[in-house]
Parts: sequence; structure tokens; C-alpha cells
Amino acid sequence: MCLGIPMQVVAVDGFMARCEAKGVERDVSLFMMQDEPVAVGEYVMVHVGYAIQKMTEQEARSAWEIYDEMLGDVAEA
Amino acid sequence: MSATARQWLERIRALPLPDRVRIMNVCGGHERSISMAGLRGTLPPQVELIPGPGCPVCVCPEEDVYHAMQIALQDPEVIVVSFGDMLRVPVNLPLKETRSLEQAKAAGGDVRPVASPTEAVEIARANPGRRVVFFAAGFETTTAPVAAMLAGDPPENLLVLLAGRRTWPAVAMLLESEDRSFDALIAPGHVATVMGPEEWDFVVEQHRLPAAVAGFHPESLLAATYSVLRQLVEGKCFLDNCYPEVARPGGNATARRFLDETMDVIDAGWRGIGTIPASGYGLREHLAARDARRHFPDYGAHDRKRAGLMPKGCDCARVVLGKIYPNQCRIYGSACTPRTPVGPCMVSDEGACRIWWSNGIRTREVA
Repeated sequence: MCLGIPMQVVAVDGFMARCEAKGVERDVSLFMMQDEPVAVGEYVMVHVGYAIQKMTEQEARSAWEIYDEMLGDVAEA
Repeated sequence: MSATARQWLERIRALPLPDRVRIMNVCGGHERSISMAGLRGTLPPQVELIPGPGCPVCVCPEEDVYHAMQIALQDPEVIVVSFGDMLRVPVNLPLKETRSLEQAKAAGGDVRPVASPTEAVEIARANPGRRVVFFAAGFETTTAPVAAMLAGDPPENLLVLLAGRRTWPAVAMLLESEDRSFDALIAPGHVATVMGPEEWDFVVEQHRLPAAVAGFHPESLLAATYSVLRQLVEGKCFLDNCYPEVARPGGNATARRFLDETMDVIDAGWRGIGTIPASGYGLREHLAARDARRHFPDYGAHDRKRAGLMPKGCDCARVVLGKIYPNQCRIYGSACTPRTPVGPCMVSDEGACRIWWSNGIRTREVA
């Protein structure tokens, strides 16, 4: 339950956002982002259905690739 | 551009390391990344990565699980919702009895898993004539969303059985103990995202230990590992932030405000460990009407045998404290496996035992 998932915002309706990660869509609360409004197209780190912080596309992509990439990187090292 | 995992490893290997360095992490997400990436096998043998108190399910009081079960069992009109991991945690009762929330559901209780506080709100809305009790265990990353949910004025029939915990007081307790079992700390990236990295300054300022906030990618974890090792070698400690894009100064101000508005910081029990001062959250007085602890008899306080303890033979408490590695538990892989977990560290996806087992460590070692 504590795993953070980076997601991209595809639609915003008040404090709720439709967010997408790797083809999966979820409703995400933006209630904790009131001091830093989130726009469509931006990326957020999501914990238990709540966005806890914005992030860049690059950070989101590197986090999505975490499982594939880490094994490759370390095996080569 | 940040360095790659290989470059961080090269830098680590080039350091003049002492004979033994023990680096503790306090986050199930960190431990999962470390284990999945096989980082332990790539680091110099002197460097030990120790999983510490990073699993909220593991430290949730056994009495609270029992309490939630009894709420569901005593009144079938009440709906108990909780994060999925919590449903499988066994309490200390004889095997033939109802021993988990999952089994309470099988015995007729209305128990439902939720993935988010927003789902608890939806269930309460869909069942206006019934009380819904959200049994909410978790660290700051999970408790802040619970606070946000409460601040959003959910339906009146939604109550909370709160078992939220703060991470840093547990680390403070470990640092103050006589047999401190680590030499440096990797601080949790998402706790720091919510609460601010500054919460971890005390590790450096009061205890003179190297510390670094890390993200969850192996590169970030290796950067943090390099940072604390270099701090140790050079004898200059500071709180490094190896997750600066997300864990920003001051954390998430809105989330912290919701925590302040809805919850008090209280002394709280950690399963198998005992009470840690100022380590938990309780609902504030103005939310008394939503506090399940005030609305139901205190079922958890029954004089059951071993109430509150870890199961017999289970070494979860020592695993959580970083005193032993998961596979040094006396029942790891024999009596206790993910299929038939005995202790909470084998139940939860964030439990160190479950993570190690999932990553192929199947043999027990003698501590």
C-alpha cells in the first residue's frame, strides 16, 4: 500500500484527476496538491490514490522502468 | 545528467572503506528495490544494507487488528474496510479460531479491502444506513491521505480506526538504544516528500551519523549509499538529498496542514517493540464523532494470551528493528512462508521477510 506510482494527468475535474500509467487509468485525488495546482499533461507521484507531489516526465519514466532497468543495469555493472 | 548505477558502484568501490559499514533503510519500497535489483550482491562485502522499521503493517498493534476483527464480527451491519495487506495479518489466537480480518469476513463480517481512502468514502456513500469503519494503518505517506480524506468532510457514517505511525521517532529510538545496529541511514523518499527532508536532520545533528534521502530507483539508492559511505570515510556528516526533485524542502505543505488539522501526535505502540514516544497519530477532539475507538468497546484490551505480542517463535520484532536479517528468523521458510505467514513481516508486501522470500532467498541462516 505504500508503493508510490508516478502517473500522468489526463483530465482534471475539481479535486479529482483521471491519471494514467502504462496504459492503466485511475481516479486520483488532488486534494493534497492545493498549494501547487496540477494541470493536464503533468506527472504526479501517487500514494494510495492521492497525488503527493509533482514530478517531471523524465523522473516518471525512469520510475516506470524501475523493474526492467534495474536488473539490466546492475547485471552489467 | 545523473550518474548511472554502474558509475555509482565504481565510485563506491573506489572509497577506502572500513571493515564493516551497516546502512539501515526504513522503507519497504527501498528494501524492495534493493532486493529486486540485487544491490547487496554488487556492493563491496564490507557494506551491509539492513532493512529496518519500514513496514507499517508489521508494526501495527496486534490489538488493533483484533479490535477491527471484533467490530466486524460483533455487528454485521458495520462495514470494516482496510488496506489489503491488513486483512491477512493473523492475531494471536488458536489456529481453529477466527484469526484475521480475512477470516472474519468468511465468518460473516462485512470486511472489504480498499486501495485508497477515496474508496472508503465511496463505500460510505453507497451505504448511508450503515457505519463504515476505515481501519487505517500506515506511515506518513498513507496517514496524510487519510487526513486529507477527513479534511474533505466525508459522509457522517464513515468512522476511522486510526493506527497511523511516524517513521522518524522509531529511528530516534534505535539511535538512542545502547546496541545501535547501524552506522548510517538511508531516509525514506516519500515520507520526506510529504513531511520534508528536514525531519531527518536529527540523525546528523544529534547523533553524528551520515544520512541521505533516497528515491526508489537503484541509481538513487546507490547515490545515497555512496553519499553516506563518503560522509563516513571523510568524517563529515550532513543530510544529503538524493531525491531532490520529489522530496522538496518543507515537504507537501497542504498534506502537513491536513495532518495538523485532523490529528494529534501521540505516544503509540509498535507491535513487538512497545510504546515509542510521539510516534503515532490520534484523531483530534473535534473529530471524536468519527473516532471508532470512542464508538466501540475496546475489544483489543481483552485478556487474551499473548495479546499484542508477535506470534510464538516469530522474530519479526528483531527483523523490524534491524537486529537480524529476515532469513535469520527461527521460522523463516519453515513454519512461516507467504502461503502460510506466521508473522506480519511475511504477510505484507512491504515486510522484509516477504520481500526477501519473493526475491528468491529461501534458505535460513543462523544469526
